[in-house]
This record gives sequence, structure tokens and C-alpha cells, in this order.
Amino acid sequence: MKRKFSYLLKQHIGSPSKPIVQKGDKVLRGQLIAEAPKDQLGANVFSSISGEVEEVTEQQIRIIADEIQSKEYVKLTSDAPLDLIRESGLVGLGGAGFPTYAKLQKPFTGEGTVIVNAAECEPILDHNMRRIDTEADKLIKGLKIVMEAVKANKGIIAIKNIHTEEIERLKTGINESNIAVATLPNMYPMGEERAIVREVLGTLLEVDQLPMAANAIVINAETVFKIREAVEDKKPLIEKDMTVAGKLQGKLLQVMLDMPLGMLIGDVFKEAGGIGLEYGEIVMGGPFTGKRVSLEDPIIKTTGGLIATEEFWKGPEKIGLLVCACGGNKERLEQIAASMGSKVVGIEYCKQAKELKNGTRKCENPGKCPGQVQKVLKLKKDGAQALLISNCTDCSNTVMSCAPQLKLPVYHCTDGPLRAVNMKLVRRIKE
Amino acid sequence: MSITQETLKNHLKDPAIFCCRREKGAVIGAADLEDPGLFEDMIDAGLLTLSDDALTIEQVLGSTLLTNVEALTPITRDVLDKVNQVETALKATALVKDEKDSEQIMASNTYVGGTGMIHVNIDKLEGLSLDIPVGAALGGSMQVPAPVQENKGEKHVIRKLIKKHIKIVDAEIGKKTSIKDGKITIDGSIVKKAAEEDPLCVSLKLDVIKPEERHLYTETIMDVCPIATKIEGELGEGITKVADGVVFMLTGVDEDGVQVHEFGSSEGFLDEKMYFGHPGCADENDIIIRCHAVIKRLSGMTRPGPFAAHKCQDYIIQAVRNELKQYEGEVIKEEICEDVRRKGNPRVVLVKEIMGQGAMHDNVLCPTEPCGILGGQKNVDCGNVPIILTPNQVRDGSIHALTCIGPATKEMTRHYIREPLVEGLAMDEELDLIGVVCIGSPQVNDEKLWVSERLGSLLEGLDIDGCIITTEGFGNNHIDFIQHIGQAGKRGIPVVGVSFCAYQGQLVVGNEYATAMIEENMDQGGFENNVAGCSCVTKEVAVRAIQMLKNKMAGVEVLPAPKKWSNDVINKNNKLLGLPETKLLDNGTLH
Repeated sequence: MKRKFSYLLKQHIGSPSKPIVQKGDKVLRGQLIAEAPKDQLGANVFSSISGEVEEVTEQQIRIIADEIQSKEYVKLTSDAPLDLIRESGLVGLGGAGFPTYAKLQKPFTGEGTVIVNAAECEPILDHNMRRIDTEADKLIKGLKIVMEAVKANKGIIAIKNIHTEEIERLKTGINESNIAVATLPNMYPMGEERAIVREVLGTLLEVDQLPMAANAIVINAETVFKIREAVEDKKPLIEKDMTVAGKLQGKLLQVMLDMPLGMLIGDVFKEAGGIGLEYGEIVMGGPFTGKRVSLEDPIIKTTGGLIATEEFWKGPEKIGLLVCACGGNKERLEQIAASMGSKVVGIEYCKQAKELKNGTRKCENPGKCPGQVQKVLKLKKDGAQALLISNCTDCSNTVMSCAPQLKLPVYHCTDGPLRAVNMKLVRRIKE
Repeated sequence: MSITQETLKNHLKDPAIFCCRREKGAVIGAADLEDPGLFEDMIDAGLLTLSDDALTIEQVLGSTLLTNVEALTPITRDVLDKVNQVETALKATALVKDEKDSEQIMASNTYVGGTGMIHVNIDKLEGLSLDIPVGAALGGSMQVPAPVQENKGEKHVIRKLIKKHIKIVDAEIGKKTSIKDGKITIDGSIVKKAAEEDPLCVSLKLDVIKPEERHLYTETIMDVCPIATKIEGELGEGITKVADGVVFMLTGVDEDGVQVHEFGSSEGFLDEKMYFGHPGCADENDIIIRCHAVIKRLSGMTRPGPFAAHKCQDYIIQAVRNELKQYEGEVIKEEICEDVRRKGNPRVVLVKEIMGQGAMHDNVLCPTEPCGILGGQKNVDCGNVPIILTPNQVRDGSIHALTCIGPATKEMTRHYIREPLVEGLAMDEELDLIGVVCIGSPQVNDEKLWVSERLGSLLEGLDIDGCIITTEGFGNNHIDFIQHIGQAGKRGIPVVGVSFCAYQGQLVVGNEYATAMIEENMDQGGFENNVAGCSCVTKEVAVRAIQMLKNKMAGVEVLPAPKKWSNDVINKNNKLLGLPETKLLDNGTLH
């Protein structure tokens, strides 16, 4: 049977892309099908397969794939690295989806550091490490392209200290004196942009500051790999690495490299050997920040994980939410609470979760708990019989140091994903 | 919850507790420490046990952790590289315990006492306490924010009211209503005509209870009402006669025998159900003329039912008033009340939140006769909007209370004619009492907000320098009470709140302006104990409230109230002000 692919016109920060194909058009792998609007922040979208356009709507382009697919792709036509990056439709692949060309547009004038974010911070996700394992040299090459583009005098690859083999491979591959590896503690959320800047450069940025304020650019590792592909191989962004995990028929945790974008999530699970008969929900992204999706949704540029979670546990009648900027937001926790059959009787935010102008929240000092007792007591007072939290490692530890004494069981937004792969839950920090 | 540098400074001598897990090598600062303001709650919840070897915040600042330490652990010597030397280090635990016992102390307290001394008391616990003669000794060398200033506040009398207290020594129910030789006689058959005043009133019964006969059963007490009548002028001016040594007490049930104030009623033995001597109650030696009303079945929880009882009783009282007008008996005292202006003194108003939810939760304002019904308007019918009265109008019986569910915290008619706050503020030579604002407390939250906003505009228009806001009851009425405080607070008007809160009536709402509060509770367990008039504005409450207002206006800090109610705090404040101890009534509510 012919597979259907779906390309969303908005899978990045900025304006939606404008379709340039019509129903019935034949398209090739790597062919531009929607372009970024002129003079606006946006990104091109390419077909990741050869096939025929079935439908073009305001939201998406659907293409029916040919039965036989070739490895060939239509090459990019620009020459200069920044132009190639722009043309390739590349956006921040770690989840942010910010157009990469825009990030690299303004070169440093003095000192400048490019930090590759190889923290792969969310539990379960492992595709970045797998890629570094086999192609560490390509990451270093990509980093050099970026440093060149933004006139940086230093490059740093930030990676968690537990990944000793990957660190070794990177160190072996680095021949340059201005590129180094920096290690991060194994805690969530070390991959948060501002946490990385703090750990690597020792500067704690305000919630509304960009790394540029510390003369740095932080860029996701997979994005750097794809920058090299765009510049050296003239390859548009048509594939994505991801980790597929959870309630699967086969292995619980599978890294799937070079998955064609636009593939429907149901098809990805089929390729992974099939989804389990019973599961709670499908989460796209990591356990902390992932969102609920359906099997009919396609994978997009920012898809890093697809997790079929454990079935929901029946919660108590009344539950209190403790919302953290580093994990699931209020809406996500409300969604989980509803699935648990619990009524939300109180909502508190971590003291450090500062609301930004756009309504989202960022942590003032990621991974360093400011204390949670007051919030927990408040939720108890509101009538909560249990807590559902989305806190980082350190803050969850604090919650666990008081909630159980108050006879409040604690649920975490990552429970479903972590249980599904038999990983340790986010609770107390054990030495 | 980690604390700020500001908070840190205020808690240097409090125990140092890690708010979160901290790892070896961490240098301790404000961001690592739990807020001492939460300790009580944490101890209550079993989250924290303070031990003797816990160090204080000032001892641990800047020290380095030698090992990983879990969240909510007291910091002890053995996990640190160094401990800062502080002189009073050993006091740490004692201090915390003491704080638990305190609630709302006036921290630094400066006032001019009746002894001609200026009393300065700094620091609630171990501070310096000085008594300095006013005048020379001050010599400008001490910064005392006393609100006394010379050449200001000259008294200008607007109007005068003379209350003649007429001695009454006996009362009986007889054949003809009269007052002779200090004895009130009421025609026993008057009850029939009185009951005809309102179709909802089925019957009335009168009897006389002598002070020594109070151990007798009574149905729920709906009101205590003085016998007072105008001789000359309107309410608030001229001459009023008040019968001294006797009061009316209204009780009521419906035809099925259901108490008019079912839930929150005060039926029982009279000697156990009234706080004799409190402003709203009968005094120790008062003769009580009990008027018992039976109203139509199921009309107890409506507006007209209880009102019928009050109206019919007023018919009887009016007959006595008419006799009192003629009676030229012994005048025990002539109380002179003045409405005055003291220009240059701080302009203040007293805001009294009164019941306005309907049923018996209502008040009749400005009747023709003192404490009467006829000629007045119900504040519920007036939309509960703030209405300003002069102090004299209040002291001349402008408010007839139709209120009594939860009798311990409600103000009865007699309360208003001798309201201690009105009297205290009106007499205070350092203040300029602009008026008394009565504002009803509606049932619906939207309406509460609405009337509160009206109050805000009124306060702004009056251009006052401070206000005291009182409320009766607890819970529902606290919603508007706090709104009112907010309306004053956001206009920069120093405000003191007065309420029963204690245990049962803990404030469930609050705002940043509710920082100065006076507790009215006099029940041992902190409950509404169904003893009429127990936890209301007393003379002591009034003195504390007025002093706290002066402190607020003078910028003297009022210490924040720890979370738990404790009578010790009230007594510490009483002591500061030379007031007698507040003794709590043991009514079996202590848990």
C-alpha cells in the first residue's frame, strides 16, 4: 500500500511556509514544496520522498509516496554557507524550531563562543549520542562551519559527563586548539540553553536574555550535523533522527536515524515493529516537555522522540498541580490530570518559573531548586489529595522531601514515558 | 522557599534550614535557605523538627558544605567548614519557640500614657524599655515618632448631646404602664396590641428577670435594647434620657418552637449565654425585661419574620419611652457627647461593617427614637451602601441591630449606643474623628465588591489620614472586610482592621494592606461560642486598635502576625498599653 506523507506548513517559529505545489504535481525527494514568505522569519519545506501531491490545505501538504524510493535527492542551489543553511529549511532541531539562518545571521564582533548543545537532556532520548558515536568528526566539521559563519573564536561541545565513550570520540576527533569538550552533570535540565551557558561560561542569564548577552550562541548537536549536510552535501532538511520508545511490540527503546520528515507517526511505530496493544498516550518529544499527539499526525522538523507511554494510573479525586518551567506546562498537566480522572483543585508554579511576555515560562536558574515547601503546603490546603508535578530533578527531590510526609502521593509528568521503558522515575535523588 | 537578601536580614537569628538538597562544596547564601516565615506551618505539618544543635542563619552565611545535605534539614556544625561567631548563638531555639506564641505585637510602641510619661518600647522580646517624663528629658536627642504635636488640633464643637441616665431600680409587669420612684411597670395586656403591629408576630410575652435570677432558661437572644428617648432635638443632639439599670432583651421562636436564630442560636441558661458587662449586653446588675416573641412558622429565616419581633417589641418599648419622657427621677449621670472637629490632627474615620444579608442580618438606621425602629431605614433596603453618621448620632442610638446568628461576634443594639471605638476615637485629643461610616455586608460577592468600591471613593473624598475598619461575624463577612481594607490601603490610607478571627474565624482572604489587625476573640478555644456579645469590640479592643492606628499613621512598624492565633500576643499588647489582661471564657471549646 502506498504511504501518505504530510508536511505541516508551520513546524517552526515564524510565519507559515507558502505552498508552491498543487494537487496532482509529481515531486521528487528533496524538492522544495513550500517556501518561507519573503522578508519574514520562516523556513522552506522539502518533500522527503518522491510521489504525487494529494492535497494542499492551509495547514499542510499531503503527498502519496511512490512505492520505490531512491536515495537521490534534489540538491540545494546556493553557494555561500549561510545561504545554503537558509535554503535548506533548517531550524533548531532540539525542539525550539527557530530558523537556524536567523540565529547565525549576525556575526560576533569581538570574542564569541559557539556552544554545541549535545546534552540530550531528556531521559529516554538517545539519538544524538548514537549519531556522535558513529560520526563525531562530522559534528566537529559542522561546528567549524558555524564558527566560521559567525566569526567565533571558540567552539565548545557540551555533553553530559556520563557519556564517556562519546566524549572520548569527540576528543579524539578534535585537532583544533580553539575547540573543546565541556562536560555537564547528569541532571535535568542541563540542556536548557541558559543552564548550558551557566555551566560552560559561568554566566547566569536573565529569563529574557539570549546567550548572545554572554557572547555565545548555543546550537543543538543534530542541527550542527544538518548544517554540515546542507553546506557540504547541499542536502535540504528532509530527514530526522529520533528515539522511538515505550510500549512497543519489539525493543522498548529504539534509535531511528534518518527518518523521512512528514511520515505519519503510526507508520514510524510500524517501522519500529509496532505499537503495544495497550498504552496511555503518544508523546512527541521527551518525557518532560513532550506533547500528546495522535498516530495520524506526521513527524516534523522538531520531532526528537515518539513515546508510547504506560497506561494512566487512576489518580485521586482531587489533585494539585505544581508547574515548572522546565517540564510540562499547566495545560499539559491538566491534560494528564484529566486522563488520570482527577479534578484539579489547585495550581501552583515553581517560584523560579517566571512568565515571559509571550505567556511561556522560563526558569530563573535551571536545575537549582529554590525550595517547594510553601507551594506543597498551599496545594494541600487547597484540598489536593496528591500532586502532579513537572519539576526538574532537583526540584522534584525537594517536593519528595515534604509531600510524602504530608500524605500526598506525587505523580510526575514523566511517569508514563519512564514506566513504559522501565526507567527510574523522577523522584528523590539517590546517591 | 529560598529567601531574598531582604528577608535574610530580618531573620539572622532564626534557624538555618536548607530549602533544598545542597551538594558538597556549596557556599551557603540566601538562595539556599528556607523562609523562617514557613517554619510554623512546617512544624505543624510534621515537616520540620528544630533541634538544639541547629545553627542560626547568621552563623552559617558564607560557610561551605562539607557533605551533601538533603532538603529541609537544619544546618548543623558537623556539615560545615566553619561557623560564624555570634554572641547570642545559643538563643536560637528559644527565640523560635517564643515567636510561636506571638501573633501581632506592636513592635516598637510609642505613646503618651495617662501618667504623663512617654513610653518607648523597642523590640517585642528583649528590647529596651524606657519611661521618660514628657518634656525636658526628651531634649530632642531621641527620635520618638509620637503623634503629639503642639498648636494643633484645637477643639471646635459642632453639636452637643446630653444623655441623662435615669436611675431605675425595679421593674414589673402590672396593670398600667408607668414609671414611679425608679420602678418601671408595664401593662401586661400591652402584648396583645403590640403583637397586632405585625401579622407575622403570633404572640408576645413579657417577664422581668432580676440580676440574681439569671439562671433560667431562655430562647435564643435576638437583641439587647436600651430604653432611651428623645427629650429635645433630633438624634445626635439635644437631650436624651436613658433608663439606667434596665434593658429589654428580645428572644424568639417560631410556631414550631424552632429558634429564630437556628444554627448559631443562643438558647440556654441566661447566665451562661450572655457576656454580662460587654457593650452589647446587659450589665452585671441590670434588670432584664424579657420580651419573648413567637413568629409564624418557617418565618425565622426570612427578612420579615425576625423584623416583626423587633417591631412589636419596639411598640412596647415606645410605651415605656413615653413614660420616661415624663419621669423626673434621679439622674445618675449626665453624659456629655460632642461632635467636634480638631483641625490639624490626623483625620480619621471609623468604618463599621454591619450585617446586610437580609433575614435577621440587617440593621435599622436612624430611627426617630434612640435604638428604635419607627422612622428608620433598613440598610439592606439602602443597598448596603456606606452611610456616614456623626459620632453623636451613633452614640444616640442611630443603629438598631437586627442581627444575631453567631451571637458571640455580633453587635446588638445596645452595643452601638455605647460603642467603645466611637467613644475612644471621639474623645481622643490627638485625632480628628470625621465620622462613622456604616456599610452593610451583602450576601453576594459581586455586591460585596460593589459596596466596597463605593466605600473606597467615600474614603478618598473624605481625605482621611487613617481609618479603623471593624466587622461582625466571621467567614463570609471577612470577604468584604478585606476588600474594604484594600480600598483604603490602595489609596495609601493607613488602616487597622478589627475582627473576631482566632481559631474558627481565621481569615481565609487577605491582601497586602491587611497588616495591622486587632483580635476580638475572648473564647478559650477561639470559637464562636454562642455566648451573646462575648467576642466583640470591648474597651480594650478599642484602645489597642486606636494605638495601632496611631502607630501606623506615625510610621511605627507593626510586626507581622505569626500564623497561629494566640491570646498571649493580645495580652502582650494589653500590657504595653497598661490594659487589664484579656481573660478567655472557658466554654468547652478548647480542643
